[in-house]
Amino acid sequence: MKDTFNNVVIYNGYPLSVVVAVTFHSVILALLLYLQSSKSPEALELVQPTVVKALLIQENPQVANERKRLERQQQQQRTREREVAQQAAEAERQRQEQADSRAEEQRKARELASLRQRQEQERLDADQLVREREEQNELEQERRRQLELAEAQRQQESRDRERQRQEEAANAAAAELASSEFEMVQSGMAIIQQAVQSVWSRPPSARNGMRAILQIRMLPTGELIDAVITESSGDPAFDRSAENAVYSAAPFRELQALPSNVFNENFRSLSLIFQPEDLLN
Amino acid sequence: MGYLKQVPKWRTIVIAGITPTQLILDASLPVQLVLLTLLGLSIVSWVMIFQRALVLSAASKGVLSFEHRFWSGMDLSQLYKEGSQMQKEDIPVVGMESIFRAGFKEFMRLRQQPTVDKEAVMEGAQRAMRVAYSREEEKLEKHLPFLATVASVSVYIGLFGTVIGIMNSFIGLASQAQVTMQVIAPDIAEALIATAMGLFVAIPAVVVYNRYTASVDNITGSYITFTDEFSSILHRQIHSE
Repeated sequence: MKDTFNNVVIYNGYPLSVVVAVTFHSVILALLLYLQSSKSPEALELVQPTVVKALLIQENPQVANERKRLERQQQQQRTREREVAQQAAEAERQRQEQADSRAEEQRKARELASLRQRQEQERLDADQLVREREEQNELEQERRRQLELAEAQRQQESRDRERQRQEEAANAAAAELASSEFEMVQSGMAIIQQAVQSVWSRPPSARNGMRAILQIRMLPTGELIDAVITESSGDPAFDRSAENAVYSAAPFRELQALPSNVFNENFRSLSLIFQPEDLLN
Repeated sequence: MGYLKQVPKWRTIVIAGITPTQLILDASLPVQLVLLTLLGLSIVSWVMIFQRALVLSAASKGVLSFEHRFWSGMDLSQLYKEGSQMQKEDIPVVGMESIFRAGFKEFMRLRQQPTVDKEAVMEGAQRAMRVAYSREEEKLEKHLPFLATVASVSVYIGLFGTVIGIMNSFIGLASQAQVTMQVIAPDIAEALIATAMGLFVAIPAVVVYNRYTASVDNITGSYITFTDEFSSILHRQIHSE
């Protein structure tokens, strides 16, 4: 009976073997999956690196102050203009009233005079004429004086306005100059930063929060004279990597395009802060 | 004096690690094909391993049980008749017993013919046993070359997958300005899975191939010994007449 079983197995061993082999592989796979899931119960997720764009929002304080001053001036100017306009309107109204009342008086006087004239034509003829002329003269003078006053005021106003316009133009020109210089400095900084960053290979010992400051000196041609570590991070490898990065990023030829005063003020001597913030450890 | 601050261009956040399953699912097509091939090879080779295990253990058990019966002092013609009975019941006769049956059948047939002399009878019986032995050996060694091939080739297949994977990862890296460990690591891990899989297939195949070859040698050795012993018995029988 045992032999019989053996013989059957020899010739029909394949189905059994297939079943056993497939089961074996399934068990191994299931085991691997189980170990994985038990090892990491928290949801596993790989977040794609997100690009953080560093935007410059800081403002040059000089430019900001200039702008504030300008705004204040404009405000004052506006209030002054409004006051002047009010005064002018007031004066105009008064003059009108005076003129009206005078005209009324004149008319009454004339009526009276004509009445009187009609009553006593012959007697008061000459007197009436003289008085009338005098009154008219007075009126004329008054009107002329007022006109002169208004004219003077207008001239004063236009002079003021002209002066202010000139001031404003000068201020704007100065601000523009300052801002373009500021932009030039910023773009130069960005060039240096990008060049240094692209060649800076950090050592494995680099950690977030490490900080090394290098003082570099440059020629107006963008060539590097020297780079000195002014503040060490405490890790010689890190310091060396920063130094190497600066040396291999130099020369910064783009800086040649800067005006010499801008270069001398901002780039002749420059401090670079090396501070990794994107490391995972 | 201006100050320049290194603003990080990339902020990489890896919330958690990666798992082998995910690596395999995210792998490139060549690597996945290599892994599939290796999985197929693994399954087939394990089918062979189990099937051979059954065959070889049955064969060595058969050797023991037949030797026990043969040396129990039973009459040889009685033993032959038992085998014929088994064949009538559709139970195949294999191993040492089939060698015995081939030799004994030839011996009896030749001896009944008066014209054939004693040496020719012996020669005929030995030739029949040699043929039966070759057939049995062939049955035992079946599939072992396949295991040997799997053992040697699957490592190379795995290595091929790894090289392709690493190549792809380096092609991908060429376009990146800043290369960190976090960028390289998943690709390399993905590539290495192929080698791991190749070794997983190759190691059992090598071990099993060596073991089974030794086992086949053992069994065929006992066949040869039996053949010699049986021919000496037949020799004695034919010359004692």
